[in-house]
Amino acid sequence: MPEPSQPRVVDRPWRIWPSVAVMAIVLSGALLGILIIPVVQGASAGIDAYTAICRALGILPGSPASPQILNRNPPTPVSQVAWTPSVLQILAEAKPERGRAKVQEVCTACHGEQGVSVSPEFPNLAGQSGTAIYKQLNDYHTGSRTNQFMTDIAKALDETIIADVAAYYAGQPMRNPNPYTLGAPDTIVQLVELGDPNRNIPPCAACHRHGAGGPIDAPVLSEQRQEYLTSQLKMFASGQRRNDVYGRMRAIAAKLTDSEIDGLAAYYRAGLR
Amino acid sequence: MRNTERLCLAHLWLAFVAFVGAAALGAWQMWVRSPLGAHTGTPGEYYMSVTAHGVTMAYVLSTFFIMGFGYFVAVTALNRPLPGKGWAWAGFVVGVIGVLMALVTIALGKASVLYTFYPPLIASPWFYLGLVLVVLASWVWCVLMLVSMAGWKRENPGRPVPLAMFATVANAVMWLWTTVGLAAELFYQVLPAALGFVQTVDVGLSRTLFSWTLHAIVYFWLMPAYIAFYTMVPRAAGGRLYSDTMGRLTFILFLIYSLPVGLHHLLMDPEHGNSFKFIQVLLTAFVTAPTVLTIFTIPASLEIAGRLRGGRGVFGWIVALPWDRPMVLAAGLSFVMLGFGGLGGLINMAYGMNAMIHNTAWVTAHFHLIYGGTSVIMYFAIAYEIWPRLTGRQHQSLAPLRWQLWLWFVGMTVMTLPWHWLGLQGQWRRVANFDYDNPIIASWGPLVIVSLGGGLLLLASALLFVRNLAVLHRSVLPAPARALYALAVDPPQRVPAALNGFGLWNVLVLVVMLLAYGFPIAQFVVAPSPTAIVHRTE
Repeated sequence: MPEPSQPRVVDRPWRIWPSVAVMAIVLSGALLGILIIPVVQGASAGIDAYTAICRALGILPGSPASPQILNRNPPTPVSQVAWTPSVLQILAEAKPERGRAKVQEVCTACHGEQGVSVSPEFPNLAGQSGTAIYKQLNDYHTGSRTNQFMTDIAKALDETIIADVAAYYAGQPMRNPNPYTLGAPDTIVQLVELGDPNRNIPPCAACHRHGAGGPIDAPVLSEQRQEYLTSQLKMFASGQRRNDVYGRMRAIAAKLTDSEIDGLAAYYRAGLR
Repeated sequence: MRNTERLCLAHLWLAFVAFVGAAALGAWQMWVRSPLGAHTGTPGEYYMSVTAHGVTMAYVLSTFFIMGFGYFVAVTALNRPLPGKGWAWAGFVVGVIGVLMALVTIALGKASVLYTFYPPLIASPWFYLGLVLVVLASWVWCVLMLVSMAGWKRENPGRPVPLAMFATVANAVMWLWTTVGLAAELFYQVLPAALGFVQTVDVGLSRTLFSWTLHAIVYFWLMPAYIAFYTMVPRAAGGRLYSDTMGRLTFILFLIYSLPVGLHHLLMDPEHGNSFKFIQVLLTAFVTAPTVLTIFTIPASLEIAGRLRGGRGVFGWIVALPWDRPMVLAAGLSFVMLGFGGLGGLINMAYGMNAMIHNTAWVTAHFHLIYGGTSVIMYFAIAYEIWPRLTGRQHQSLAPLRWQLWLWFVGMTVMTLPWHWLGLQGQWRRVANFDYDNPIIASWGPLVIVSLGGGLLLLASALLFVRNLAVLHRSVLPAPARALYALAVDPPQRVPAALNGFGLWNVLVLVVMLLAYGFPIAQFVVAPSPTAIVHRTE
């Protein structure tokens, strides 16, 4: 009865040999990638075989081909705020009603109940990003940023109530855009939108706009007080204010001319952007 | 049958209309990046445009074209009605809703995350949900392809499945495997963040899951070109397919080797050790195997045609080929682009050389040449080939068709060859604008203008393509009845079971994927890495 079994006879090698070939390729890759190459690389770099294999697998840090250099410089952070999941959770669970009570008690005198400040030297907070308010209050709290009024006020607040206040002001609507913005000079608009690559100045809009691509604690700048913006940019430029992580704003502000600082502050004082 | 033709035309027209819009965006992006258009548009507008261009070309053009073509093959190659036509239409409607959701979200500026998403960037959930619907629609198509082939095998026990259908099902099976990575990334990492349930994502894990999809999706796009090479080009040239078995092996090799290779997209990423990068680079080297088989088999088939037409000598058969036929012309041009693109790809997959071209315009040039060039020019040729069958009308003149294909080839070459060179000079990709006041960047200017010229030719070609198809709908010439698919020199009467189905290969894919991706994914679960804060682009 050779007839019925014939297809199976034809099929069998087609099942076996491709499987053998594919497995041989994968396993020889594993032999080379996991064992032979790391051990040989490690031997020439003076690393024992076990460590070299663990490094090649990514279980231990470093390369199997070169000794691991450790950086032993102590870190000197300019801000104590770290965006860990637990901090984000505190912000996500913040209660704006509790924040309102604290605002009425403490903040209203300068920043207004709706977040529209009473004087040009104090920033508007209405519609500001909650993470930005949280970061600044926390920096005042820890001393990373100082101010004659804010330092003492913030020291009396704990982390939860800071988050509540931030959530309250973040929930206040921004005012109507002011048509002043439309008259901004081209050079200032270009600085905002494109930056100035010649001077290594990135565009302001890259970070300071809702949904922009910068750090999450970057504040929204539209509808901000002109005098406040001018003073802060000058303080960054002089190094008097230094709670910007990686010194980003100190580096940028130091490159701006006085007239650009005035122009940018005017641009953002109220605006569509 | 009429209903099936309407189904195919609906898919294909949607693909091509979206394609023309995306081609226009591409030309605008070239303009903005060149010295001529520097400082037009904001970075925000640029990334919105790049996202719309990429999503449309990568998910809309490709998926809907492949679905429409697959339905066509299932009916014409198997010569039996399509099962589950209602499901197919439902899938189409779901897909259209998904496309609209994604594109409207992009146009509103709430999803400028490019088509590869880049977590921890997080777009509006509507964007991802729209893409989920497109993938769901494509899964309906996959199931219908499998059901079609199973039905045919029941009716024709022991007979070999026609190669065109075997290859289409290979692509459907591969696509089911491919989308697992993307689906896992979306449901496990990105969507919970987009919906606000979590505030952090594991970027390493997200990128690893996307890499699962990222290389195989490219072969999903490329497969229709190979299906045309094996089943349509030899007939269009007037010859026969040199070997049916080579065709089956090619598509099976694609299924096995396009999946466990995605880590070569992460060679510069820190979340994986060298061992698994090495293993997957080695496997990547084997992806060249099906292409090598094809480079042998298709010219051999064309040589048969050339000699039948009276070609003599070592190269005479090439001259004797009917280059005036769009399918033959497109195949020739596609092969040239596959040559350049394939060699560039070998550089991308090599660890050391990749480090030199990583994140430069070289990479953009490479995938435009392979997908936009090699694959899409065959989409055009396939459309020209099957449109008469779908509409019952014949092209009145082939000249505009040849013009369109040449324009595309010249445009793609003129655009991407300077890009490759600029990439070697260090021109970076994914940036919105260049400062041509900088002397180094200024030295790139002339070549960027040349590539802009290529981009404009591509836009012209895209418009001409749609015009050619639209004109055909009004043609008065009836389409002659003729065979679509090539016969093999030695038509198979029976093939080994392994070459007539996918059971064995699915088991092998599962085992190889476990070996290649098991540890790289498991490490994130065993020892979770620090997560990144989501960055909402809304």
